[in-house]
Amino acid sequence: MVLKAIVVALIATCSTWWFSHTITRTWLYPIWSGFLVALVMGEPLKGMMIAAAINLPYVGFITAGGSMPSNAMFAGPVGTALALVSGMDANTASSVAVLIGAVAVFAWNAYMTVNANWVHLADKFLAEGNLKMVRAMNYVPSFFVSLVLNGLPAFFVVVYGAKFGEWLQAFPQWIMDAFALAGGLLPALGVGMLLNYLAKTKLIPFFFLGFALAKFLNLSTMMITVIGAIIALLIYYFQNDPDKVGE
Amino acid sequence: MAELTKKDLVKNWLLGYSSETCYNYERLQGLGNTNAFMPIIRALYPKERQAEELKKYLIFFNTEPSWMGTVVHGITAAMEEKRANGEEITPDDIISLRSALMGPLAGIGDVVSQSICYPILAGICISLALNGNFAGPILFEIVYKVLMLGLGYTMYMLGYNKGREAIVDLLQTGLLDKILEAVSIVGLMVVGSIGANNVSLDLSFLNWEFVNKLGTITFNVQKDIFDGLLPGLLPLLAVLIVWRLLAKKVKPSTIIMYIFVFAFLLVAIRFLMGQYA
Repeated sequence: MVLKAIVVALIATCSTWWFSHTITRTWLYPIWSGFLVALVMGEPLKGMMIAAAINLPYVGFITAGGSMPSNAMFAGPVGTALALVSGMDANTASSVAVLIGAVAVFAWNAYMTVNANWVHLADKFLAEGNLKMVRAMNYVPSFFVSLVLNGLPAFFVVVYGAKFGEWLQAFPQWIMDAFALAGGLLPALGVGMLLNYLAKTKLIPFFFLGFALAKFLNLSTMMITVIGAIIALLIYYFQNDPDKVGE
Repeated sequence: MAELTKKDLVKNWLLGYSSETCYNYERLQGLGNTNAFMPIIRALYPKERQAEELKKYLIFFNTEPSWMGTVVHGITAAMEEKRANGEEITPDDIISLRSALMGPLAGIGDVVSQSICYPILAGICISLALNGNFAGPILFEIVYKVLMLGLGYTMYMLGYNKGREAIVDLLQTGLLDKILEAVSIVGLMVVGSIGANNVSLDLSFLNWEFVNKLGTITFNVQKDIFDGLLPGLLPLLAVLIVWRLLAKKVKPSTIIMYIFVFAFLLVAIRFLMGQYA
């Protein structure tokens, strides 16, 4: 268990400490970081489904200029680990993870604030012409900051999270019902945020089209993507040379 | 004459992916960029000048670093090469060009990566994963990285080979806008299906039974009203209300709170109806 906890802690650490986006860019998203945790915990199938459920409210989360509405990088691995050790179902896990993510915004803010110190040290090393240490400042200290802020909590969750499960069992049914209800509604936040970004007035009907195809005809997301791509291509061609269509 | 080799350029491009390793509120990607430009500066300038030339990178800088913003680094590498070969380019020229480009590229890059490619991909992959299909996360990882690295490399090389014209063309012809609009259509349809499949609100606990001479009549709010009107009406309403709130600049964290309050209100109603007795 301790070994598993250490590896999960490292995953949680690297979800915030992005040593290279060639690897860590996708670790921002619960569907991947949570899946990695699921593999480590030896429950790939269950963990994958939990991680996907946790990702749902974050489908529309956009981080720009370092600001973060809710910490998906923390909620993903820690939420998945907690759900696995305490035996939560996916819906409950999703609402618990969103609450964890909301609290963990503070971890992100602390990370972004403390790291400024290493830049000041880098200033000093650059003035001395010590390029090796400038590089070291970019990579090394922020790892330990993330380890403390994200890795340690993840470690404790894996080791002591089962207790949380027992505690959860003792919750009255109505609290669990409320959590499940909230879990069903939280994906609306991700969808709403995306709409807020994507929707220009004239394009909004496509949202309803996607909704209707899924709800009325039970088409899968993949099928709807293909239909959407065909429509997009048609519109793109018509827009570019309206006179030449049909040639 | 100092020249950059393909190897130097590839190193610069790849190290750019560590722009946010020491991400911080003071200078954001400044330190990461200093790190990324070391191979370029080392190849072009004598040892005693290297630290001085790197200083122009250890300042505030922030763009979208992985998908589109790599074009800024490509353009910069070309400028450094010219500067090292005696052309009249000052550090201030490089800094002001980079500062001018970082904003627009952050905008385009975030739209492409975070509000189009990610949600479409995540939408498909989450629905696969929720159905217990391992292709979900694996497809997500592979397609995301192929798109990110492919586009990132293309943009970097475009910037290096064509200089600032590359990006000015892209921004001015309106071609990019048209492409983005077309892709937004796919995005919106996927978002619609995510909403349909994953947002759930079921009021079937609002259920009454009346007994009269003819037998028992049940009245169920969910079955007899909402499902009869239109399947998925309540989840759709939930999405539209959240969207409306966001458009009114209500913070996502506040909306999360509203959702929990609403959930507990519904449970309170069930409590009053005696369903937990």
